[in-house]
Amino acid sequence: MAKTILIVDDSFSMRQTVSIALKGAGYEVVEASDGKDALSKLDGRKYNLIISDVNMPNMDGISFVKAAKLLPNYKFTPIIMLTTEGDDSKKQEGKAAGVRAWVLKPFQPPALLDAISKLIMA
Amino acid sequence: MNLDAARAALVEEARELLVAMEDALLQIEAGTGGPDGINAIFRAAHTIKGSAGLFAFDNVVSFTHIVESVLDRVRNGKLEIDEAMLSLLLKSGDYIATLVDAIERNTEQEEPNPALRSKLEAELKSYLDTSSVAQTALEAAEPEPAAQLEIDEGERVSSDNWHLSLRFNEDVLRQGLDPLSFIRYLCTLGRIVHLHTISEPIPAAEHYDAESSYLGYEIDFESDASRSQIEGVFEFVREESQIRILPPHSKIDEYIQLIESLAEPAGRLGEILIHGGALSESELERVLNQQQEQDRPPPLGTMLVEQQMVPPNVVSAALSKQKQSEEKRSHEQKFIKVEVGKLDQLIDLVGELVIAGAGANLVAKQKSVNAFEEAAQSVSVLVEQIRDAALTLRMVPIGEVFQRFPRVVREVSRDLGKEIELVITGAETELDKSMVEKLSDPLMHIVRNAMDHGLESTEDRILLGKPSCGIMRLNAFHDSGSIVIEVSDDGRGLNRERILAKAIERGLISAEQHLSDNEIYRLIFEPGFSTAEKVTNLSGRGVGMDVVKKNIEALRGEVEVDSTPEHGATIRIRLPLTLAIIDGFQVMVHGSVYVIPLEMVIECVDLVHQDYRHNIIKLRGEPLPFIRLRSLFGHPPSAAQQRESLVVVQYGSQRAGLVVDQLLGEFQAVIKPLGLLFQQMKGIGGSTILGNGQVSLILDIPHLIHMTSQREMPPMLATSRSELSEKINH
Repeated sequence: MAKTILIVDDSFSMRQTVSIALKGAGYEVVEASDGKDALSKLDGRKYNLIISDVNMPNMDGISFVKAAKLLPNYKFTPIIMLTTEGDDSKKQEGKAAGVRAWVLKPFQPPALLDAISKLIMA
Repeated sequence: MNLDAARAALVEEARELLVAMEDALLQIEAGTGGPDGINAIFRAAHTIKGSAGLFAFDNVVSFTHIVESVLDRVRNGKLEIDEAMLSLLLKSGDYIATLVDAIERNTEQEEPNPALRSKLEAELKSYLDTSSVAQTALEAAEPEPAAQLEIDEGERVSSDNWHLSLRFNEDVLRQGLDPLSFIRYLCTLGRIVHLHTISEPIPAAEHYDAESSYLGYEIDFESDASRSQIEGVFEFVREESQIRILPPHSKIDEYIQLIESLAEPAGRLGEILIHGGALSESELERVLNQQQEQDRPPPLGTMLVEQQMVPPNVVSAALSKQKQSEEKRSHEQKFIKVEVGKLDQLIDLVGELVIAGAGANLVAKQKSVNAFEEAAQSVSVLVEQIRDAALTLRMVPIGEVFQRFPRVVREVSRDLGKEIELVITGAETELDKSMVEKLSDPLMHIVRNAMDHGLESTEDRILLGKPSCGIMRLNAFHDSGSIVIEVSDDGRGLNRERILAKAIERGLISAEQHLSDNEIYRLIFEPGFSTAEKVTNLSGRGVGMDVVKKNIEALRGEVEVDSTPEHGATIRIRLPLTLAIIDGFQVMVHGSVYVIPLEMVIECVDLVHQDYRHNIIKLRGEPLPFIRLRSLFGHPPSAAQQRESLVVVQYGSQRAGLVVDQLLGEFQAVIKPLGLLFQQMKGIGGSTILGNGQVSLILDIPHLIHMTSQREMPPMLATSRSELSEKINH
């Protein structure tokens, strides 16, 4: 069964890029446009991995992660945060929220896929 | 060819290491070897094993491996070194040396002394308990029984595999990270040979938290991936987990070799280790951060070893590399570059100083004031020292010229399809820098000539019962004020008949002329002479040896040739040590002062004027040809019964006598070149200025000796003396 990944990003083009890369690697993709939208999609569906942007309207990435960690079904779901080099304070916040996997933006799709395969069993 | 060279290098290196190993063992025996001693021995064995492994010299590898295993246990403090072990290790070293000898003789396939070997091996193995032999067993010829693959205490490092020791933090699952997925990902880089799960940390049921991760993993991992690749697998967890990556045995060799071969070593230990691949940058960063957090931070190397991130021998290799590069740097600082022009200027000034000093000496003698004479004397001693010191500034080892020949010989031998070995000796012999530059071309020509014409083809050599590999020798040494450079080969030698035929054909000599062997050999230096049956692109264009001779003579030198049929030929170049200032010996002939280079003067004998026939005198029973300088230089003959002196001079192996009126003693002569008009004159090598300002001629002894041996006394300057003064006046 194909593994499902939830992509959370307010940028349509970013979601699209990531989505194409992931689908190309054989993953199923669910997209969400911000933290709030993403939370609404944590509705009991099984996600093998969540990839989330940090800066988003309505609910940012860190708040989304904190909220997600409280949901019994999703507390163990691996999360990759997409972040830019300068987001050091955000990174500290994210660390406190329990995020360990970071991928720097801009990223090359192979690097992202590599990070994904470290986190979830191929 | 390449492989042979590498093989030779291996043999050489192994011998050096064995010597070092023996030294260290003896030091330990004497109680003077520090902890470095045992490391040095281990490294020696280890490096020999590693290099031999590259060539698949299994005899060496398997034996050295056992030695290394024993040493490893000693090094880790598991074994005490005692008398018996020392002598066993020394014997083992000797045996490795025999194995290395076998490699040199290309007989490494046979075991030189199987009985001795098995005896030594048995003794060595008695120091290793069975488990450790199994642990480090190198030859995996038989698959090891599964039982032996059981992990004990997570300490074991299997020789061919990486060993990963993983302790994830308890929260790893809550962070959305699954240890299993990392391990699964690891499989994309290689094969997990064995995985052992450490379950001890699991707490009792009442404290057990189902969401925590308690398990640790010990993994034997077979992979060609680099350390940083493997380390990258744990990118997301390494900060809060304990991840130890122990490289396989072979990798340790690789690290050490890489570190040792770093051309431009980075100055810092961490950088050296990263360059060598023994440490990843992120690992270094982490350890450096830890180091900063401590009040009294331990050295980086200690931390790396304590945390088992880098094996101790790799750290010590890196440390010695670091030391080496520091030493190199400080060594480099001991040299300064000086413009050649400045040096020449200095030498010129010293020359003037020498002349002025001689003048002062002269005045002192004339005034005959004791104090003045003494002062002048001590000044001239110093001047002499300054002269010698200044001249050595220009001296360089001839190795500079020699060092380009291994390459040349290698290439030429390949072109010609001949096996040729080059043996260089005396490369440290020094000579004037200005000569070095001018020597290179003539030498190149002689060497190529010898390889092309002198050495037989490999097949011919085998037919003649000679070793198939021809030998070219370059040798240099100092010999009574000259430097001698010999180029010899062990080829067929010069072909007397062919040279003679060719010389007659070319009209260089007439068929009736009777020549000694040496005179015939010397014909090869005549212009337009070449006996090569076919012209190759290396030599044999007919311009060659005569040009060589001309070049050497321009340096006031001489070329000789020696040849033994079937055993080879030697071309000997003899050059004056310096072109600038010499110790001279002054003699007086009819009121004129001549200077003889002092190094060539053997002795001086009183002579009562007699009419010797054929200009040969019997000196202590030996015949000695001589020349009267009076008649040679057109002075009137001496009066009967006048006292004369005979100066015996030597050049190379030849001696001759020079009859002069009076001996004046030693003198430092600054050589001034002869003007263009007089350069063609035989018998005079240059001029110099005496202390009183007079000009004096320096005799060209090699030429004079040559004249006497030819037994012809040319009426050389009978008229030319008047011409000479005429020319000077004009």
